[in-house]
Amino acid sequence: MYGGGFQYKNYPNPYPNPNADNNSSVVVEVDDDDDELEEVNDESQEISQEDAWTVISSYFEDKGLVRQQLDSFDEFIQNTMQEIVDESANIEIRPESQHNPGRSSDFVETIYRISFGQIYLSKPMMTESDGETNTLYPKAARLRNLTYSSPLYVDVTKRVIKKGYDCEEVTEAQDFTKVFIGKVPIMLRSSYCSLYNLSEKDLTEMGECPYDQGGYFIVNGSEKVLIAQEKMSTNHVYVFKKRQPNKYAYVAEVRSVTESQNKAPSGMFVRMLSRPGAKVGSSGQYIRATLPYIRTEIPIIIVFRALGFVADKDILEHICYDFNDVQMMELLRPSLEESFVIQNQQVALDYIGKRGSTVGVTRDKRIKYAKEILQREMLPHVGTEEYCETKKAYYFGYVIHRLLLCVLGRRPEDDRDHYANKRLDLAGPLLGGLFRMLFRKLTRDVRSYVQKCVDSGKDVNLQFAIKAKTITSGLKYSIATGNWGRANAAGTRAGVSQVLNRLTFASTLSHLRRLNSPIGREGKLAKPRQLHNSHWGMMCPAETPEGQACGLVKNLALMVYITVGSAANPILEFLDEWSTENFEEISPAVIPQATKIFVNGNWIGIHRNPELLVRTLRQLRRQVDVNTEVGIIRDTRLKELRLYTDYGRCSRPLFIVEKQTLLIKKRDILALQQRESPEEYGWHDLVRKGFIEYVDTEEEETTMISMTINDLINARCNPDDAYSETYTHCEIHPSLLLGVCASIIPFPDHNQSPRNTYQSAMGKQAMGIYVTNYQIRMDTLAYVLYYPQKPLVTTRAMEHLHFRQLPAGINAIVAIACYSGYNQEDSVIMNQSSIDRGFFRSLFFRTYRDEEKKMGTLVKEDFGRPNRDNTMGTRVAGDDVIIGKTTPVSQEEAQAKSARFTHKDHSTSLRHSETGTVDQVLLTTNADGLRFVKIRMRSVRIPQIGDKFSSRHGQKGTIGMTCTQEDMPWTVEGITPDIIVNPHAIPSRMTIGQLIECIMGKVAAHMGKEGDATPFTDVTVDNISKALHKCGYQMRGFETMYNGHTGRQLTSLIFLGPTYYQRLKHMVDDKIHSRGRGPVQILTRQPAEGRSRDGGLRFGEMERDCMIAHGAAHFLKERLFDQSDAYRIHVCERCGLIAIANLKKHSFECRNCKNKTDIVQVNIPYACKLLVQELMAMAISPRLLTKDVKSLKEQKNKCG
Amino acid sequence: MEGVSYQRFPKIKIRTVRDDFMKFELRETDSSIANALRRVMIAEVPTIAIDLVEIEVNSSVLNDEFIAHRLGLIPLTSERAMAMRFSRDCDACDGDGQCEYCSVEFHLRAKCINDQTLDVTSKDLYSSDHTVVPVDFSDSSTGFDNTENRGIIIVKLRRGQELILRAIARKGIGKDHAKWSPAATVTFMYEPEIYINEELMETLTLEEKKEFVDSSPTKVFDINPNTQQVYVHDAEAYTYDDEVLKKAEAMGKPGLVEIHAKEDSFIFTVETTGAVKASQLVLNAIDVLKQKLDAVRLSADTVEADEQFGELGAHMRGG
Repeated sequence: MYGGGFQYKNYPNPYPNPNADNNSSVVVEVDDDDDELEEVNDESQEISQEDAWTVISSYFEDKGLVRQQLDSFDEFIQNTMQEIVDESANIEIRPESQHNPGRSSDFVETIYRISFGQIYLSKPMMTESDGETNTLYPKAARLRNLTYSSPLYVDVTKRVIKKGYDCEEVTEAQDFTKVFIGKVPIMLRSSYCSLYNLSEKDLTEMGECPYDQGGYFIVNGSEKVLIAQEKMSTNHVYVFKKRQPNKYAYVAEVRSVTESQNKAPSGMFVRMLSRPGAKVGSSGQYIRATLPYIRTEIPIIIVFRALGFVADKDILEHICYDFNDVQMMELLRPSLEESFVIQNQQVALDYIGKRGSTVGVTRDKRIKYAKEILQREMLPHVGTEEYCETKKAYYFGYVIHRLLLCVLGRRPEDDRDHYANKRLDLAGPLLGGLFRMLFRKLTRDVRSYVQKCVDSGKDVNLQFAIKAKTITSGLKYSIATGNWGRANAAGTRAGVSQVLNRLTFASTLSHLRRLNSPIGREGKLAKPRQLHNSHWGMMCPAETPEGQACGLVKNLALMVYITVGSAANPILEFLDEWSTENFEEISPAVIPQATKIFVNGNWIGIHRNPELLVRTLRQLRRQVDVNTEVGIIRDTRLKELRLYTDYGRCSRPLFIVEKQTLLIKKRDILALQQRESPEEYGWHDLVRKGFIEYVDTEEEETTMISMTINDLINARCNPDDAYSETYTHCEIHPSLLLGVCASIIPFPDHNQSPRNTYQSAMGKQAMGIYVTNYQIRMDTLAYVLYYPQKPLVTTRAMEHLHFRQLPAGINAIVAIACYSGYNQEDSVIMNQSSIDRGFFRSLFFRTYRDEEKKMGTLVKEDFGRPNRDNTMGTRVAGDDVIIGKTTPVSQEEAQAKSARFTHKDHSTSLRHSETGTVDQVLLTTNADGLRFVKIRMRSVRIPQIGDKFSSRHGQKGTIGMTCTQEDMPWTVEGITPDIIVNPHAIPSRMTIGQLIECIMGKVAAHMGKEGDATPFTDVTVDNISKALHKCGYQMRGFETMYNGHTGRQLTSLIFLGPTYYQRLKHMVDDKIHSRGRGPVQILTRQPAEGRSRDGGLRFGEMERDCMIAHGAAHFLKERLFDQSDAYRIHVCERCGLIAIANLKKHSFECRNCKNKTDIVQVNIPYACKLLVQELMAMAISPRLLTKDVKSLKEQKNKCG
Repeated sequence: MEGVSYQRFPKIKIRTVRDDFMKFELRETDSSIANALRRVMIAEVPTIAIDLVEIEVNSSVLNDEFIAHRLGLIPLTSERAMAMRFSRDCDACDGDGQCEYCSVEFHLRAKCINDQTLDVTSKDLYSSDHTVVPVDFSDSSTGFDNTENRGIIIVKLRRGQELILRAIARKGIGKDHAKWSPAATVTFMYEPEIYINEELMETLTLEEKKEFVDSSPTKVFDINPNTQQVYVHDAEAYTYDDEVLKKAEAMGKPGLVEIHAKEDSFIFTVETTGAVKASQLVLNAIDVLKQKLDAVRLSADTVEADEQFGELGAHMRGG
């Protein structure tokens, strides 16, 4: 390791972690055997991989872990919202002409014009029911079930324009400043949050956890995260080969959206037909395009002619650029021939117009219609103004060009799953879309209100016209339910907003960095679920759920930056200045020699010296003269330069390399280490000085990135062996490709990959301390570990995840052994004495909640309990009433029932399977001023047989037996393990990481330091083993142990050492369930379902099959009938319908048959009786015949 | 086999005794006796520990159960424990376990009144019986940090927080709950016998000898700097990890050393929590073991005793 070990010892980290000595890694010195390194040592300015961590620290110090959420929301608040208000057109109202006898107006026409101006947002506020307004803090919002939102105001101008008879105009303008138009939920820790930029101390004082990162909303007291939504990028040409047999051979598609994306994307498809079949006499492979609003496909040549390019030569040069390209020209021949008949723009337009939605109109109208379509609907991102035909023709030609390139096999088809083709909709754009829709609804409502006022001649009162509730409740509804879009309207997406997971701190962080692809879960297409090469460094390769959503729900890697979007104008201006030629200036013939320039997918023009242009652009971006998040892609094969400024691209920072050396030098690291405050010289300066740049997924494809700093050094020392001589970038650290949950795994690079996935899922269920303010929060469910420990074996990334400060586990002494057999099949033996001493004890909290609802104006529900005298510390157990509430019985009801009761019980009782102590009671009022109570119940959970535990390597197990200390195996030192796991858990699962963690933990414990288990470092098992040997232990971690029962030596050596274990939230006490008799469902009278309802245990189909196979007919009948919903009815023997039976009087009767004697008693399931009655209700008579049909007929005959 | 006696007379040789530490040799007996002694020391020598806590005021950050659990784990000086009664069979107090024969009362009263966090420690527990007090670790001969020795921290209090409670300590054994276990570690090892095959050893070069000596993680062998002979430096450091044997094999010299565990000779190491002195722990353990054996013997004689000793009696009768 070049420079590694010794250099960082010379420069200790200036931010010593209070809990961890930074030099504490147990990494054993690595042999410096590379002799050739000596000669480069004069380049003492070279930084080491260790120094990279200083850079990483500065990144996280500056950005935190939920930057994408905060940036995106800030962008929405600071820019998008104003843009949306600005883009809305003025509301113009002319009075509908009304017959108004007796009054003639002085004016010909009065026009009301309402326009919206500047918007203002205040800090989060809360208006109590008595009208008092105060600033709202998150703590209060959480506890009182309020919504953490800020009022939004807007300047409104009302103009009344009166036009006189003599064309004079009188304008009366009236300004309303700061009209309240609704409340916008505020993301915690965003720039409009009350907690923005508060110090740790202030946060603690306000009842907040200083480690909490924000990035979520509080709506009705519950914390909501907006999950990033993945979508295909728009304004991008994709060419796909169609799977044969298909009508089409190739398809090029563009989903075009204008920059102010207020419309649904308009799709444009250009398709090439498959080889002509024998049956049709067509002469070749036609190419046709689908235009919006046009029913059929239009041959491409017709589209060109409609755009005004009539001559074949004109058209061909827009597609091929180069007439020497015979192959491509040949492919266009059939299309040209197909459209031979149409040789005129008007005819072409008419051709298109005929296939539009207008019917039975004149030719002129049709042509106009077709023109409109071409101007407004076709490829709107190119332009929707007039005279865009040239641009559109070029772009359309380009689309066809790309299609043909693919047809000719010169380019492969596009990759749908490449991450460069994906964009992420984060909180900002999601809220933006919602806000746009709601604001439009608001303006619509204003218009109809004003129209009504104007028509009826009333004064226009804007305060009444603007209904603030539209925006307030619209935003609240979507964030609270997760249904994105209007309530019960089509096209809404469900599950966009989720309740923030607060089980463990890591699960919270991971939830805030989650991402969802809204592709159908049922689709069995595997491709979108697979890990793609372009996911490297952007998406965590390990963290994804198993099962239906596998691969569709992803998590961001640690160092990802999602672009928030910037204006394209500065780029366009720059390009203009730097002699980019636009279409008016060029002839198509020069295109093949020049480079095409695209900005956000739109073809701007061409440039003849792309080399220089790209270099300057890059240079400017590195100097932050051009926004750092702009993507610059020079595609030399296509001769294209693509620039992107849009939002939602994934990008990540990389070290810039020039001439095989990093631009960042040792002195920069030193400056970083020696600064006093984080503001002084931080991450931003590294970017500004051009040491680091953000590279997005598409640009990444044009770079050459070295994996480690050592690779660069090696490449410099012996260029012949180097992988590349043109490195452009260098990874900051390869371990940053993992996400939050996978970064907690020690040595993930030594595990089988599914195990890392399992652990990533399990780490979210581990108990620990989920936030530091858990005592003042009232979470519905919470688990807190008694004595959490920071792990002995850590990864470097953990530092930034605050895993040391908020740990979720205990360093248990784990033996891997067969001992007594009580640890088979993934169970473990746990030391009862350790449990007695507090090992993995935990607290469980559950909060119950209720409010006094208003019923009518005067009547209100009433809390009898809880009261102040006897609440806290009361022991409560199953079914005890903890909130006593009564509802007054209304007058009518009281009369209907017996008048003895005035109140009805509406109490909340404890879950019947739980016991505990009342921990805290909160009695307050909610937003409506109604009394509102939250009661937190606490219980201690001591590990017992059946509770679930896991290591950090996807090795979960339940306790199979507890043994006291004297029964446990012991070593000569007197150590007894806390946990014994079965050796069979290891070989098939290949979690070697756990074994390495164990021996490194042993070394760490002996040296009193933390072990470094960061992946992709040069720590080796041999190094650790040597260190362990020096500590006086068998080098591989084996120890001689003695049987606790007999005192004899165990025959084999036992692998023993400290391993970090997690207690998972699944505990037997929450699962244990049995029932003899119990509640039944009202409708079917079958036993209820589920433990919480004390339900029955289902005797299902498969169990039924077993009984049938055994021939246990009586048992089967008992299970399915007697023990389920046995019922008895009486049936008339004559008609087979249910008869009236009065068992008390022993009278039986079938009124219809006038039969009082031939009645039989029948035992049937209640469900069957229900079916019979339901059929009867449908006028079907189900007859239960108790005799065989023949005798019945005879009987009938007799009667007849 | 009438008349043949297997009776042996175990011998104990004490090597080191300190208050909370003891090392001794147990010879001329077998592993069952040694292990029985070990097990009794861990799990069946009675001590006194807090068993019942009545909390009057607790405004600390830790909840009542948490504090009660922590109090239970504080070792109390338990010299009296052998003579005390188990509260379950105490007839002086009807089994409610609150009389002087079976229990000791403690009081704790702490409130933080200034801005400095107040550590509530085991020293703040006031005992009703001066013989039963929280173990004081400050007088240990190691003598480091004597000035700032504040006992075992129970909870830390912030300004305005208060803790008032009454606790009852009772006699119990480690089998019921680890808090009653007087032993921190009790362990024994079989005394190893190491023979070096000098003849074979001499065939090794000095380098190889060094390698061989270093192959053991613990310092079992050493090289005499004068004669350059390998000798057994400390046989008891050997942990039966077979590293040296494997090394010898790897060097192509199997049988270079031979190591056997003596079946009848044990080296015990006892560390206590401070509740009883290490020496007392061993004596108490022997007492308890004797009582148990007596019980077994009695139950073999009388049928009535069967009831009393339940399962054990059944075992004796060969059930």
